[in-house]
Amino acid sequence: MLQKKICMLGSFSVGKTSLVRRFVESIFDEKYHTTIGVKVDKKVVRAESEEVTLVLWDIHGEDVFQTMRMTYLRGMSGYLLVVDPTRKQTLEDALSLQARVREGMGQIPWILILNKCDLASEWEIDLDRIKILQNGGQPVIRTSAKTGEGVEEAFVGLARAVLHSAS
Amino acid sequence: MPEHAQRRAPVPEPEKAADAKELAFEELRHMIVSPEQEQIVEIRSRIESPERRIEDVSAVVAEAIQMRRERGDAAALSQALAPTVQETLRESVQKDPHVLAEALFPVMGPAIRRSITETLRSMIESFNEALEHSISVQGIQWRIEALRTGKPFAEIVLMHSLVFRVEQVFLIHRETGLPLEHVTTPAVATQDPSMVAGMLSAIQQFVRDSFASQGESLDSMTVGGLEVWIDEGPHAAIAAVIRGHAPADYRIALKECLEAIERAFGAAFDDFRGDTSPFRAADARLQALLITQHRERQGTIRKPRMVIGGSALVVAIIAGWISYVTYDVHRWTNFARSLGAHPGIVVTSFEKSGGRWHIHGFRDPLAIEPADELIRNGLDARDIDFELAPFYSLDDVIVTQRAEKLLAPPSGVNLSEGRGTLSVTGTAPSAWMAKFRDRAFMVPGVTLIDASSLRDSEIVSLEATVLTFPVGGAQLEPGQQEATARVESDLKAILEYAGETNQQAAFSIIGHTDSTGIEGPNQLLSNQRAAAVASTLIRRGIPKSTLTVRGVGTSEPLRPEDTEEGRQLNRSVTFRVNLSPVSATP
Repeated sequence: MLQKKICMLGSFSVGKTSLVRRFVESIFDEKYHTTIGVKVDKKVVRAESEEVTLVLWDIHGEDVFQTMRMTYLRGMSGYLLVVDPTRKQTLEDALSLQARVREGMGQIPWILILNKCDLASEWEIDLDRIKILQNGGQPVIRTSAKTGEGVEEAFVGLARAVLHSAS
Repeated sequence: MPEHAQRRAPVPEPEKAADAKELAFEELRHMIVSPEQEQIVEIRSRIESPERRIEDVSAVVAEAIQMRRERGDAAALSQALAPTVQETLRESVQKDPHVLAEALFPVMGPAIRRSITETLRSMIESFNEALEHSISVQGIQWRIEALRTGKPFAEIVLMHSLVFRVEQVFLIHRETGLPLEHVTTPAVATQDPSMVAGMLSAIQQFVRDSFASQGESLDSMTVGGLEVWIDEGPHAAIAAVIRGHAPADYRIALKECLEAIERAFGAAFDDFRGDTSPFRAADARLQALLITQHRERQGTIRKPRMVIGGSALVVAIIAGWISYVTYDVHRWTNFARSLGAHPGIVVTSFEKSGGRWHIHGFRDPLAIEPADELIRNGLDARDIDFELAPFYSLDDVIVTQRAEKLLAPPSGVNLSEGRGTLSVTGTAPSAWMAKFRDRAFMVPGVTLIDASSLRDSEIVSLEATVLTFPVGGAQLEPGQQEATARVESDLKAILEYAGETNQQAAFSIIGHTDSTGIEGPNQLLSNQRAAAVASTLIRRGIPKSTLTVRGVGTSEPLRPEDTEEGRQLNRSVTFRVNLSPVSATP
């Protein structure tokens, strides 16, 4: 059995928990977010003809009350960086966070998740910046926790990237 | 040799001789000291070159230290090296603490365990003292057990106090929090090990970040009746989920297991990229940690004893009950069988219902009383109901009893019945004999009678009667009246019986004499004696036709005449009776 530690990162209330709530196995209450700042879930995907268990560390988004513990990221194989495009600041915070992660953890596979694609008309983020990232080879996936669009693709995509990185 | 070459440069003529000498001297000097000079240059270059010095020292440093130690000057050597070693270690730790931690991990475990053991021992001693004054019943029992087993009292107390069951053991990759292996006690409900291991790691990191000093970590968590004990190695953590309270030495077992896994799977840890399959080999080690400790060790012994004792008691009760029932059935069966063997009783069935025995069958009124038979067999009449219908039994004994009851035979008469024939023997009055003949067939079970062996008591009496006469006389001796009256009575009774039984009676009156005298007169005298008696009887009402008189003289003596008594009995009259059926009148 191949297992990978995956972290779900992003600002407070960008929809990380909504993404895992409907699409992954979970046994723990969400109150762990507000206590120890993380909740661990599981998602089994098939990538590269191989079944991979993604152990998802859903890490509580940073806000004025809580700062993300970088130690939770230790040993992760990849991460989903979730952005709420209806709030411009979340992209800035995400990219800032990504920079901190890269600085502390090195180059690790990650995917930028533009959540709430069902509310595309309300997006505030600068899509040009997204294009720049994409042009630089950074995977970007649009998801909707409400409709499920792109969610599976995001997990499988990250698993595939992790496997490629490992090989 | 540039110097040498310079010395050989051309010189002025006057100086040539001196130069030649100088040259020769130089050549000679060169020949003599050149090798030493080269060696000196070589030595100097080695001394002046740091690289060469290092090389030289490295070649002998180990031997030098060894030699110094062998000289018994190890203390000075240690003192000399200590600052350097300490500084080296300090720098190593500051640079990367994991290097030294990993190197020391195998030796740290035993050292820590030794420390824990010492601490535990002192704690036990304190505990022992605290319990010294315990006077509870259980405390006394434990103290007795300590004396019996030779173990410290505190150890016995701890042994009895501890209750735990290790339900799950996780082997967790420290860096990622991924579960490498997970074992559980059978029948214990568990959650997904990936998520649980991840959360344990997260909590561990949370505690370490939030509260712990450097190097400290969360050792245990308690939730209700559950405890989670965690121990960490360089690469992995081991977490045991324990229900109840495990003893302190269980943590030693955790540490030993983790150390063994760290040693055995060092390469697998280094290469770990999420594939947990290499760690399946650790399963046996983790399984060994799934320990269940019952509350009292004695309990494991006592329980089976109780079960065995209880079972034995139940078996004994059942066996006793079965034995009693078997015995009860056996004795009542025997009773029914023996009762049915008695004449006049027929047992058709017997059974037990409603807690009482019931015997069904038939009983002749003359048969034994069943209640008496119960008493003889030592049985309680309250345990049985007899349902015996009355009937006439054809058992010989019963028919005989019935005949005796009905016929009331006089003394001297014996009745017996066999196969329907009632036989009567003995001597009976003719009146009873007539009654017997009338009533014998009325006895149920009697179909024939046999009275061939029955004799009329009057006939016997008559034929035994001897009427004596004086010498030479034909008149009865005095005092014969009573005998004569009895003869008369017997004759009349016989005649009556003969009449009732349709027979004809004939009596012979026989006269006798003793042997004294001559035969002719004796014959006459015997005739006279018989005739005299006949006359007397005729006078008393005996029909003459039934009497026959006969004198036999001395020819049929009653007794030998060797005594006077014998001769007297021969001077007598006797009687014979003949009964014959009355011939039918044409």
